[in-house]
Parts: sequence; structure tokens; C-alpha cells
Amino acid sequence: MSEINKAVTVRSMWRKERQLPRFELLGKIMQRKKAKYSFLMMLGIIVIGIIGPWIAPHDPTKTYYEAFMQGPSKQFWLGTDAIGRDILSRLLYGTRVTLTAAVMASAMTFVVGTLIGVTSAYIGGFFDNLIMRIMDVLLALPGIVLALAIVAALGPSQENAMIAIGIASIPGFSILVRGAALSIKESGYVEASRSIGSSNWWIIINQLIPNIANVLIVYTTMFIGGAILSTSALGFIGLGAQPPTPEWGTMLNEGKDYLREAWWLATFPGIAITVVVFTVYMLGDALRDIFDPKA
Amino acid sequence: MTQFILKRLMSGVVVLFGLSVFTFMLIHFIPGDPVRIMLGQRATVEQIEALREELGLNKPLVSQYVSYASGLIQGDLGTSLKTGRPVSTEIAERFPATAKMAVASLGVAVIVGVGLGVIAARFKDTFIDGMIMMFSTLGMALPGFWLGLLVILVFSVHLGWFPIAGGTGLLDIVLPALTLGTLMATALSRLTRAGMVEILSNDYIRTARAKGMGERIILLRHAFRNVMIPIVAVIGLEFAGLLGGAVIVEQVFNWPGIGTLAIQAISSRDFPMIQGTTLFIGAIYVVVVIVIDVLYALLDPRINFSAKREGA
Repeated sequence: MSEINKAVTVRSMWRKERQLPRFELLGKIMQRKKAKYSFLMMLGIIVIGIIGPWIAPHDPTKTYYEAFMQGPSKQFWLGTDAIGRDILSRLLYGTRVTLTAAVMASAMTFVVGTLIGVTSAYIGGFFDNLIMRIMDVLLALPGIVLALAIVAALGPSQENAMIAIGIASIPGFSILVRGAALSIKESGYVEASRSIGSSNWWIIINQLIPNIANVLIVYTTMFIGGAILSTSALGFIGLGAQPPTPEWGTMLNEGKDYLREAWWLATFPGIAITVVVFTVYMLGDALRDIFDPKA
Repeated sequence: MTQFILKRLMSGVVVLFGLSVFTFMLIHFIPGDPVRIMLGQRATVEQIEALREELGLNKPLVSQYVSYASGLIQGDLGTSLKTGRPVSTEIAERFPATAKMAVASLGVAVIVGVGLGVIAARFKDTFIDGMIMMFSTLGMALPGFWLGLLVILVFSVHLGWFPIAGGTGLLDIVLPALTLGTLMATALSRLTRAGMVEILSNDYIRTARAKGMGERIILLRHAFRNVMIPIVAVIGLEFAGLLGGAVIVEQVFNWPGIGTLAIQAISSRDFPMIQGTTLFIGAIYVVVVIVIDVLYALLDPRINFSAKREGA
């Protein structure tokens, strides 16, 4: 009997340990169907991004001279492209290329956008007004046009596409962050904190940012999805990753001239992009539901 | 009222000024010597100096901007390095194609988006609603250029119903409009559904049902009319964006609009053209949005300007 009791206690202790605040979000994700599946799928995509090069059946840049533009077969599961490269291997390598580009671009948007949004909301007045007018100007251009203009100046390459997409998303992101920060700024505890003499930076770092962390997580997730779309769009018009880099948009660009002869060239990379972006958006949606059940 | 319009115009002028500074600075963002990059590796020293002189890059920054801006005011966007023709002429030539596509895509978007939104709201929380919402999330994740390629693959290559790409005739516009329209419809259907669901929960809808009015009349006459106002606002914004050209989708269909012009310019590093198209895309958006705002204010009797006037 005591053995059983012990087991029960141990188990309940373990349960408690599992519910440490750090894992609270994970727990909440696992409780919900949509959140769980999109989270697991995202995890799977990230794993493919990491181990892709090892599980790829062929070298993504190697030309198989005996197999130009072959349809899906046993040797080449998703077929080969116009110069005899294995599509599946290129897709697997491309996962890493696309994810890296999107995450780096979004990281840039996140850091600069949060900084601009929070300081603009916190300082207010003329500074806020000026910053918001500048953002208005940049928002008059569709994100992709802004990114294109920056790529045009910097020159077409994968890194520059990344920078351009990161910069182009800053206006939209910082305006969202500013809105969230404004509501926190008006709250009583920030005022209380100021009245006992906390410095502005202390308030920003210890009160403003932690309290909009949820919002930041959701927005960043959504922006990663957008960044993936933009990365592949730039690749598609030849202003992103340059061949022979196996980037999905670049692959579609290479495949678009052979629609008549080889449908698989223009099909599989598109499916890859859609699946990944769809997963990211679902995850973002699910996170929003978790953080803000009312909306 | 006049005050509101004036205020709106002023803010528009400020944004346009900001845009012109941005496109002006674009050429100065270029790492290295912009003239050398524009002309390529094989340009001679004389050619480089001549272009530098022509673009006025030897002068101080402020006076460069002043001459750029005074050109803009007179409608002079510079001269294309590639064709040697005025940028404004080339944009004017391309604009009709872009406008045509904007109208056609908007038509598809409104019919599909609003239609699906109303249906989803009518069948809220059923299988149909789920499918429509699934479609709209999927639509957000679809890259426009890939949808374009798929549409070409299915309707042109396999079924042979439409020409592949290149023309601007009535038949040529179907596929690009379908692609762009579907993409836009996804967001529109969500918005319509959300608005309809909210309105359908009102008491007067319950009253209408209670007195035995047909579901169709309730849906269209009572609910839909009230959702239309916010929807029309969003449609206006979408249209403003479309008039600047759908950069990527135009590229897929080889559509001779502003978007392809911009991308060609970037590929050939034709900077006056890049500046011109970027400025045009931004400016047309700003102008159309102001026009819509003003029209909206004039048409919607519920917007009250007296409060604003008192505040001023």
C-alpha cells in the first residue's frame, strides 16, 4: 500500500514539476488540437531544416546527365529538373535556406520594430509623431515593393534579400507593437513605478516589454510566415537567392519555363512553401487564441 | 467638413514629400559608386563622368534633392537609362494594363470573397463554414506567383482554354485576374464573415426571424447592408494597392503593367526608372486612399464632423 502511495506522490510531484512556468506555454499548446498539431508540424519542419542535408538522397547541385527533366521515379522521387538535379534533395536543402532567411529577417524586424514601437509609444509627443509619420510613408508602399526597392539599391543576393525583407517589415511591425505598448504605458503600475522613481529604461525593459511579450510572440510568428512568402517571391523573380542555391522560389523560377514539359518542376516547391507558411500561420493563430481567448 | 478634407490633404502632402525623400535617397543607399554600378564594369571614365554630371551627383545632397523635387512637381521623373525615354512616359504607357487588371481582379475578389463570407456566416460553425475558413487560411499561405503558375498549368497547358501569357486581351486577363482576385478574396471573406456573424447576433435579426421573415431576406436586406460599410472601406484600400501594380503576379503572366516595369528596371539597374516606379506606386496609393476617405466621409451620414470642428 505504501508502495502505491509513494508512486502516487512521486507521480504528482513529477506532474507539478512539469507545470513549471517555463513549460506553461508548452502545456497549453499541447492541450489544444490546433495548437498541438501546428506546433508538432513546425517542429518537424525545423528538424527537416536541420537534418535535411543528411537525409537527402542525392547531392542537390549534382547534375545527373542520364536524367534530364525526368518525372517522379524510384530513383528520383520528385523527378529531376532541366539540368538533371534531384528535386527532392533540392527541396530538403532548401528548407534550411528558406527557414534561415525568414528567421533572420524576422529577427531583424523583431529587434528594430520592438525598439521603435516601444520607445515611440513610451516617449510620445513629437518623437512619436515623427516616427509614425515616417512609418506612414513606408507603409504607402506594399511590403514587397519596399523590399524590392532596397534590393535594387543593395544588389540581388540571398543576404540582401534577407536584409530587405527584414527592413520592409519594420513599419508594419512597429506600428502593431506601438499600439500594444501604449495600452501598457497607460496602466496604473507603470505610473506607480514612475512615481517611486524608476528610470525610463528600467520601466521599458522590466515592465513594458514583458507585458507585451505575448503579443510580440504572436506578431513575430505571423511575420515569419510573411517573410517566407517574401523570400520565395524575391527568389522567384531572380532577385533573391542566386542559382544554384536550392531556394524554393528560385526553383519555381527555374521551373516556370518548362510548364508544358515538366509539371513537377513548378509544383513541388510551391507545395513546400504553402505547407510551411500554412503551418506558421496556424501556429500563430493558435498562439493568439491561447494568449487572448476573447479575440 | 472642409476642415477634415483639408487636414486629410495636408497629411497626404506630407506623406508624398516623405516618399520623394525615400526614392531620392534610394540612389544614395547603393554601396560603392552608384554610377559605376549603373553602367557596369566596361564603362569608360568619360561615360561615368557624363552620367554623374547628368544625374547631378556632383552637387551637394540638398541641392540634388531640390532639383529632383522641382522636377517631380513638373511631372518629370527623369530619363530611363535603358531606353533613353522619359520615365513618366513609360509609366503612363504601362498604367492602362495595370488599371485593367486591378479592376478585373477586384471584381473577382468582391464576388468570391464577399460571397463566401456571407455563406460562411449563414452556415456558421458547420462543415461549410469550416471549409470556407480553411480555404481562406490556405489562401493566405499560398504564394501568389505559385498560384499563378498552377492556374497556367491547369487552364492553359492542360485544358488549353486560355492563352499562356503575353497578351492583354479579354481572354488574357482571365487567369491573372482569377489569381489575384482569389488571393484577395481570402482576406475579404474573413472580414465579411466576422462582420456578418456580429450583425446576425443582433436583436433586430432575432425579431425579423421571429416574425417569420425568410432567411434570405434577413441575410441580404437586414444583415448584409450593414456589413457593407466596413467592407467597402477595405475594398477601397485593396484597390488602391492594386493600382500600383501587382508586382509578382504581373511577372508570372508577363503582364505589361507597372509591376513588370519595376522589376525590369531593377534587373537592369535602371535607377531613374526604379525611383520613378517606386514613387508612382506609393503616390497612387496615397492619392486613392485620400479620395476614398473623402468620398466616404461625404457618403456616410454617420460620420460626424462637428466634434472635430469643436476641437479645433
